[in-house]
Amino acid sequence: MMIRHAWMPFLFLLLLGVKSVFAAVGCDLNDPDRDVARLFPGSTGYRTSYASIDKKGGEPLLREVEKRLGEPFQGLFETIDVPYTIYEVLNGTQVIGYIHGVNQKGQYGGIQVFLCLDPNGVIRNFYFQKLTSKAAKELRSPEFGKQFIGLSLTDFQDYDVVSGKAAAGSSVSGIQNPVPEAETDFRASMRATKKNLILMDVFVFHPH
Amino acid sequence: MISIYTVSYKNLLRKKTRSLLTVIGIGLSAWVLASLLGFNQGYESALNKDIDNMGFQVLLTAKGCPYEAATLMLKGGTGLRYMKESIVDQVLSNEEVEKITPMLMHAVFDPNKGESGGITAYLGVDPATFPAMKSFLEFKQGKWFSDPEAMEAVLGYEAAELEQREVGDTLLIPEKNAEIRVVGILKRTGTQDDGTIFLPIRTVQRLFEKTGDLTGIGIKVDKNANIAQFEEKLYQLPDVQVVSLAQVKQTILNLVSTAKVMVASIAIVAILIATVGVINTVLMSVFERFQEIGILKSMGAMPLDIFKLIWIETLVLCVLGGGIGIVLALGLSQTTGILIRRLLPYAPTGSLITLNSEIVITTLLTVVLIGLVSGIYPAWRAARVRPLEAIRSEVA
Repeated sequence: MMIRHAWMPFLFLLLLGVKSVFAAVGCDLNDPDRDVARLFPGSTGYRTSYASIDKKGGEPLLREVEKRLGEPFQGLFETIDVPYTIYEVLNGTQVIGYIHGVNQKGQYGGIQVFLCLDPNGVIRNFYFQKLTSKAAKELRSPEFGKQFIGLSLTDFQDYDVVSGKAAAGSSVSGIQNPVPEAETDFRASMRATKKNLILMDVFVFHPH
Repeated sequence: MISIYTVSYKNLLRKKTRSLLTVIGIGLSAWVLASLLGFNQGYESALNKDIDNMGFQVLLTAKGCPYEAATLMLKGGTGLRYMKESIVDQVLSNEEVEKITPMLMHAVFDPNKGESGGITAYLGVDPATFPAMKSFLEFKQGKWFSDPEAMEAVLGYEAAELEQREVGDTLLIPEKNAEIRVVGILKRTGTQDDGTIFLPIRTVQRLFEKTGDLTGIGIKVDKNANIAQFEEKLYQLPDVQVVSLAQVKQTILNLVSTAKVMVASIAIVAILIATVGVINTVLMSVFERFQEIGILKSMGAMPLDIFKLIWIETLVLCVLGGGIGIVLALGLSQTTGILIRRLLPYAPTGSLITLNSEIVITTLLTVVLIGLVSGIYPAWRAARVRPLEAIRSEVA
């Protein structure tokens, strides 16, 4: 049995090639089998793929993403070569949506925002996998996440990540910060959501 | 004039598929053999590197299971029990001690990590002794904290990446709601330090109400000292256990030896299969050319010429197969290392498979030797062919 186990990866390697073994890991779900089923009720499986701005379009794509985001990428860790993991959610053989996460700098630590999107890019679920914040409890509450459901990149296009302002009367302007003292982390979450949607647009929905 | 080598080579080309399959079989065997030899060498050197990167040769912990203590040292984690800080002076009084550094690890439950929470560990270190013992650590940003009581942190690269922290940022300790200022980000080391959040030891003691407690003491022993004798002395201290990295290394090597035996068995079986494959291929070729060999002999070829002809065919197959195997081993060493890493109970950081010219030559010579041995019988059979019998025979 052990010998068979030892040889299985070698056989897969020969049959499938080595690319998947080297796949980089970015902002991943901690337990994809469990998380995909929980975040996407009705799913029967998923496929994982990896993308980075560097590999999908290099500097020109980075400029485009930054322009659409409304702010340049910042700091040591928000760089062109960050690998992003895209979970393609399946029901049988049919793709019923996507799950994608991004890392975002918060006031007190890293924030990981995962969005569950339908095939048209509309948010079906919002999930903070990691959130180091004094207002973590309120921001991770289902009530906060529900405010994002039904929104898409179109809604976030006019959201200004620098000022934290959205067009008056827009769907995004209706998203309420449950803890005013945690404005920095609230804005970080909004920025992460917009960035997540832009990346999914350039990686999946409208790739160049 | 056509050489015997050209004749042998052309003979192999007459049955391309069969020759190719045989070469692939030999190639796979050579790949397994080279990878096994590379693993034998790479694993130990990676383990040695991990141990060197610890900065100390002996770790003193409160009494507990040695394997858990080993895990604490090599993989990071929380201390199982605490020992009193006063023990530092007792250890320092030994002449064998060159340097010493006390440590206190503490883990807190962070409910906002993942769906059901996770653990974040903090390692309290002494700014006066720890950086000196880990002098190989380099900074991406900032520097070590200087005040042993400061509310400051130095983050390993991966910890900083996960927390998206840079020098000057604030880090929150969830359970305590305490704010810590980040003063340094380390460069990647490929060790457990990459995922560690370092705080001054007094800060950890104060924050987590562990004043006077330690989880470990790293000891760098004088290079001229007798480590075994020194360990015996340490065992005299009450309620502590000594974890020697030499012991840890041996324990890990013992654990891994099972895996090595398993892989060696696979390599032996693969080589045996390849050997039988070579004999079969060349013998088939001899039988098919029964009449042809008879004609060669009737034209004056001596038994030794026929023997050499067939033997060279075997040699060509093995050299080609060996070459392919070595290319596979070199090209896929990283992948093989990743796969082996998944199978082992503990794998050190760094490359698990180290292939050097010595291993390449050993593999090639082994494969050639196997080829030469397996070619003897078919070549001998061919050399014994009687010309008249062969020409009269009906073998096509």
